[in-house]
Amino acid sequence: MNDTPGHAPVKSIMPKWVRGPQDFVGGIALMAIALFALWASSDLQGMRGFSFGAGTAPRMFATLLLALGAGVTVVGVLTEGAHLSKYHWRGPLFVSLSILSFALTIRPMGMIFAAMTSFVIAACGTPETRWVETLIVGACLTAFCALLFPYALGLPLQLLPTFMIR
Amino acid sequence: MGDLFSNLGLGFGVVFNLVPWTPAFLGGASIPIPVNILLCLIGALVGTLVGVLPGIGTIATVAMLLPITFGLPPVGALIMLAGIYYGAQYGGSTTSILVNIPGEAGSVVTALDGFQMAKQGRAGPALAIAAIGSFFAGCVATVLIAVLGAPLTKLALAFGPAEYFSLMVLGLIFAVVLAKGSVLKAIAMIVLGLLLSMVGSDIETGASRMAFNIPELADGLGFATVAMGLFGFAEIIRNLDVGGESDRELVQQKVTGLMPTKKDMIDSTPAILRGTVLGSILGILPGGGAVIASFAAYTLEKKISKTPQVFGRGAIQGVAAPESANNAAAQTSFIPLLTLGIPPNAVMALMVGAMTIHGIVPGPQVMQKQPDLVWGMIASMWVGNLMLLVINLPLVGIWVRLLRVPYRLMFPSIVIFCAIGIYSVNNAPVDVILAGAFGLVGYWLVKHDFEPAPLLLGMVLGPLMEENLRRALLISRGDWSVFLTRPLSAVLMAIAAALLVLAVLPTLRKKRDEVFVESEN
Repeated sequence: MNDTPGHAPVKSIMPKWVRGPQDFVGGIALMAIALFALWASSDLQGMRGFSFGAGTAPRMFATLLLALGAGVTVVGVLTEGAHLSKYHWRGPLFVSLSILSFALTIRPMGMIFAAMTSFVIAACGTPETRWVETLIVGACLTAFCALLFPYALGLPLQLLPTFMIR
Repeated sequence: MGDLFSNLGLGFGVVFNLVPWTPAFLGGASIPIPVNILLCLIGALVGTLVGVLPGIGTIATVAMLLPITFGLPPVGALIMLAGIYYGAQYGGSTTSILVNIPGEAGSVVTALDGFQMAKQGRAGPALAIAAIGSFFAGCVATVLIAVLGAPLTKLALAFGPAEYFSLMVLGLIFAVVLAKGSVLKAIAMIVLGLLLSMVGSDIETGASRMAFNIPELADGLGFATVAMGLFGFAEIIRNLDVGGESDRELVQQKVTGLMPTKKDMIDSTPAILRGTVLGSILGILPGGGAVIASFAAYTLEKKISKTPQVFGRGAIQGVAAPESANNAAAQTSFIPLLTLGIPPNAVMALMVGAMTIHGIVPGPQVMQKQPDLVWGMIASMWVGNLMLLVINLPLVGIWVRLLRVPYRLMFPSIVIFCAIGIYSVNNAPVDVILAGAFGLVGYWLVKHDFEPAPLLLGMVLGPLMEENLRRALLISRGDWSVFLTRPLSAVLMAIAAALLVLAVLPTLRKKRDEVFVESEN
């Protein structure tokens, strides 16, 4: 739901009658979410007599959100407002990749590998990164986490890759 | 009155509880250890440590550190969390004063005069006054909680589902009125939060709602997951946009002369008193009291000051008043949580999450069934404030050094720490991916000027609201007028409606915006 407005500046394709593109796009996205929720909860049971069914509250809130989204959109059309702000790709991309890599490797490869890899990937998120420094800090942080979470805090985290334990 | 003292006595008894520790190397001899005090101390230290990192606010700090309390017994865990909360708050003021980057909305006003003081080489007194003011406010608020706790619990028992629902509506409206920017957008965020809270199993029928047969969604979206995404990851991504280093002007002078002068004390005492009173009152109101308390306290000081022109140029009252108000409000906001079970703001919502993980459902019952937990926590608030005063002031030098860590090294560390934290909640990799997705959602929300805090509040209150709405309508046999015919509920609804009208009225709105704009310039 976060991708709808796109990462490229949409300013140029905005029609002239939209005075506040930021609110306009925001409102439309909210309406899209609401419609999606209405569709997703359409198979749930509605009111039975006085009592709410499973689908009553979700549909109620979704309808409310649809109306509010429409309101925000209308505000975006009628009043002078902020332009779409510029999206950067580098930070979001590498931070997301880093999180994804952590989620995918933590089970099979263990925490040490997952943390170190994710650290390096996340570090790509800024052009200011200096590699030697990053690797040293990453290693120290991984060691710290490897001591802190399983030992000091007693959380059941697997440190080493599964194939090495077997 | 006797009740009050016995309750506080119970609380301090819990906090000062000594547990004998019998290490093997002593050969059977045991040393008594004040475990809960130690937990409070560690919590306050770690909370400050994380809270001091620029761009990490109180909510993100508490969310991030939530997992480290999982292994503890419930009382210890909550005491530690309370310590983390105060530490995070104090850390936020430290960054405001030293780097001019307020970690959270509550300490925005502190940055106005605090940073100016730091530039004039008076960072020490500014930090000290912030800590002293906070400590005084904490003392008053602790007593206030103890005084108001029991009677409010009795009131809570008179609450039916209709009253609960109306109270939550009032709380959400408060959150809207106090939020920055467009009222419409804030309401939309709340409703989005309510909608997100519907994901998962229906409480009554057990039907799976909007979970798309994904097993990890069957229990609903984890609260800590969403909070970490919206406040942790999103903040990191947003900071990367700005280009970490460029806007950080750290005070380079050595922090010397920690103690405020006699004149400072005389100047700031009335400000601390006024801030405490204002903060205590505003904190009890549901919906982000701490933020508005610091704004209100600053505005009040500036209004009644004989020399309003020094505000914004390093007036010590401008640090003392908002810091006291902030802390008093942060503490009294526990009152609705402990007595009514309703979290008044996002941090308290995280506390609910923590309590639920330990199998505690906050509300009037807890006060009666587990008095040691409630009073222990209340007493630990006071102890936590004391810890901040005696420990953090000497440690200011360390916090300053921490601020010099470049962002390019800090942000990957925060990403990893958050990821491990989320993973350890349920040992579920999907949670980590979800948090990442919410990080992108949060980034998008910020780009479109939507505030994530009301969303989080809506998400926490969603299930409670639905349950009480259902019950109220079932009892009234489907009659919606029940919310207006029951007197208590009608009063709450009327206040909510009046507030909403006031917020939309152009004159008041202009005033409200002025306060926020003033704080930004």
